[in-house]
Amino acid sequence: MARPAKAGRGFPVWLGLAPFGLVLVVLFAVPVLSLLKLAFGEGGFTLVHFHRMIDVPVYRSVLGTTLGIAGLVTVLAVLASYPLAYVMATVGPRARSLLMLLVLLPFWTSALVRTTAWIILLQSNGVVNALLMGSGLTTTPTAFIYNLSGVLIGMTHVLMPFIVLPLYAAFSNLELSTVQAAESLGAGPITVFRRIILPLTAPGVVAGGMIVFMNAIGFYLTPALMGGPGQTMIAQMIASNINTELNWPFAAALATVLLVATVTMLALFQRFFGLERLIEGGGGKAGEPFTVTSRGRSPGGWAAIVAACLVGAFLIAPIIIVFPMSLGSSPFLAFPPDSYSLTWYENFFGTTKWVAALTRSLQIAGLVVAISVVLGTLAALGVARMRPRWRSTVETIFILPMIVPVIILAVGLYYLLAPTGLVGSIWGVTLGHVVLATPYVFITVRAALKSFDGNLEFAALGLGASWATMFRRVMLPSIAPGIAAGAVFAFITSFDDVIIALFLTNIRSRTLPKLMYEGVAHEIDPTIIAASCLIILVTVLVLGGNLLLTKRKTT
Amino acid sequence: MKKLIVAATALTLLAPGIVTAKELVFSSWGGAYQEAIRKAWIQPFTKESGIKVEEDTGPETAKIKAMVDTKSVTWDVVTAGGGGLMRGVRQGLFEKITPEMVNTDHVIPGARNDYGVASEIFSTLVGFSTKAFPASGAQPKSFADFWDVAKFPGKRTLPDKPETVVEAALLADGVPMADIYKTLSTEAGLKRSLDKIRALKPQVAVWWASGAQPVQALGSGEVVMALGWNGRFQAGIESKLPIAMAWDQQIPQVGFFMIPKGAPNKAEAVAFLNYIAKPENNARLSEYVAYGPTSEKALAGIPAARMETLPSTPDRLKNALFLDIEWWADNGAKVTEAYTAMLKE
Repeated sequence: MARPAKAGRGFPVWLGLAPFGLVLVVLFAVPVLSLLKLAFGEGGFTLVHFHRMIDVPVYRSVLGTTLGIAGLVTVLAVLASYPLAYVMATVGPRARSLLMLLVLLPFWTSALVRTTAWIILLQSNGVVNALLMGSGLTTTPTAFIYNLSGVLIGMTHVLMPFIVLPLYAAFSNLELSTVQAAESLGAGPITVFRRIILPLTAPGVVAGGMIVFMNAIGFYLTPALMGGPGQTMIAQMIASNINTELNWPFAAALATVLLVATVTMLALFQRFFGLERLIEGGGGKAGEPFTVTSRGRSPGGWAAIVAACLVGAFLIAPIIIVFPMSLGSSPFLAFPPDSYSLTWYENFFGTTKWVAALTRSLQIAGLVVAISVVLGTLAALGVARMRPRWRSTVETIFILPMIVPVIILAVGLYYLLAPTGLVGSIWGVTLGHVVLATPYVFITVRAALKSFDGNLEFAALGLGASWATMFRRVMLPSIAPGIAAGAVFAFITSFDDVIIALFLTNIRSRTLPKLMYEGVAHEIDPTIIAASCLIILVTVLVLGGNLLLTKRKTT
Repeated sequence: MKKLIVAATALTLLAPGIVTAKELVFSSWGGAYQEAIRKAWIQPFTKESGIKVEEDTGPETAKIKAMVDTKSVTWDVVTAGGGGLMRGVRQGLFEKITPEMVNTDHVIPGARNDYGVASEIFSTLVGFSTKAFPASGAQPKSFADFWDVAKFPGKRTLPDKPETVVEAALLADGVPMADIYKTLSTEAGLKRSLDKIRALKPQVAVWWASGAQPVQALGSGEVVMALGWNGRFQAGIESKLPIAMAWDQQIPQVGFFMIPKGAPNKAEAVAFLNYIAKPENNARLSEYVAYGPTSEKALAGIPAARMETLPSTPDRLKNALFLDIEWWADNGAKVTEAYTAMLKE
């Protein structure tokens, strides 16, 4: 817990807040507000669009569905993340890196590929139903998809990593002696979890949970493909009013209501559950890191391992079946394929467009990571040193880009950037991605700073270290996992985005996801599956190779 | 050395004046569709006219609006379905195309529009699994058969948007083709259509969001019958999936090429539109995708085997109800609300 520094000593608050604040004003507030104000009429003031939303019951019900699904997904993702994060924190460094790789794998595939794989796995005569019925567990096919469970499966799968990473960071900051002390005083696994692990990991969970919840609100591809009509989400309606109906005022009204509802929920959550108080409980990291206790794993620990294996299988299942699917020869995907060929790989390398788009995506994502890590870390440092009175307001403002539907930002940015000539260049899309990605870095670094022991900072400063030296030698090593998680999130935000790219790039600057989505209303080109497999392979080879070649010292 | 630089600079400055290569920028949806357009129209057009065609992708109507509003239009020709065309027209996004600019007298009447040149015709119809309904027994032929779960048992898939579905439901319910939009324009008529769809809900396994889904669902056996697009079913058939189409009744839709307002190369764009509208050129797209030509004159150039797969043959057009894009532009928002509410019940 960092206290506001005395004047003249240390890091000035304005230096932290100003850079991202400026970016937010110019590249977020201006474009988004210029679109949202349409909700109140294009000529004179009117509330007709809000009246329509109230008069037609379907909009209320869709808003309810959206918040409900986002809430459920958050709860599921938190539940599934605990065992996995626990195991990650308690195994050796190599196994941990492997697990990290596993958690991040879903991220490297496009949303389109993931949902396709899930559908093949879960459809009524899919792989899972064949296994269940073959083993006699069920007699009729279970309806896993085209309903609520389909949406929950698809969304939890891809959003879980957002909780696992900060939660793992929280676990690795836990102190072994605390748990040992509790165990020696006779506490059982449940008590240890409830009284020690839960409060001490709360900052990580809250940070991850917020990311998941707000991300989930903006989902529409997964619910459209894996859900039924009962799971229509509001982002779908906003996008179709922008893009298909061209009814921008109504889209703006829907987005405004969504924004107000989400911000209100965040505020209520903070008020009633005492977010700040919950988070202030952390801190005090001088002892031995949390790991398996000397007496070996407790029964609770073993239960967690079993649960973690199940969660791991859930994460990796759709990724695994993607490989044989990419080797099929029919453009209509099946598992297992009827016949095998390398057609889709030949397609990928045979035309320049796929490789060019992949290169472009990596280039843009690299720029986005570099810029947003600096902006996000500065912002987190600034907020940590602010007066508590305004802190939560500024925090909320800094994560607003996560709540506003991306399509609103994309269209707004087009209007802002068109006169500058940045539309179509890689800088236009990079700036858009920076706005989207920086809040992730901000949240993860903020969580890391919350569990950073402020006394260490004062000790270092008191011993005569300059603020910069203290940051480099004391604070940075401690918050590095938070920054790393933020960088990964920033990379993925850029690497997976379609909507910003749709509006701000052209054929020369198009990204891989944009290329993948082209023509998707008509067909799914299996080349996108081959592309995903290649990305996964390269990731696994680079990270896995790194893992095997370098001996890393245990933490 | 200095002289050389000056000379080189002068040359570069002069270059655009010397090379007066005409060009235009064309933007469409990528994938197999744009590849077919490239082979059938773009390449031969460039060869014939000397006009270079630069391609782009993703002509979202919202992006066209943003371009027109900010006066930064970079596209000269864009493609869209009827819905995109009409909503764009209402917002003043497209140039009016007069008969002097492009002659469309020979185009099928249901496919003509003042702001777009009809490029191809595709169709929404019933596709079914030949495993479930083999040629040896009864096969579904019409929308009424699609709704007849006693005669043709099994799960169905329908679009998650109301376009074509509310029409098909009324046709299945016995409303004559000529009265469909008149009926849908009344409260009672719309309710009748939605009731018909509601009655089928227990039999619907998937409400599809993308055109590939119904084919995938038929191929995997998830459903036995689908309301979907003929070009997609045909692609499935060509990949040896057990699918057939019921051609006796269909709802054709038209694809259009438009010129956004303020397009930088309007004259070249008009030349391109003239090229694709000519019957002998228009027919060529059908070689690459199972979309029909927009003029009956174009049919002469198409081989009989291909004709079997196309929606716009004289015979098939007799039982065709063209999607009324004006009606949808007027009523789309209201009907979509009612449809979504019915689905969510």
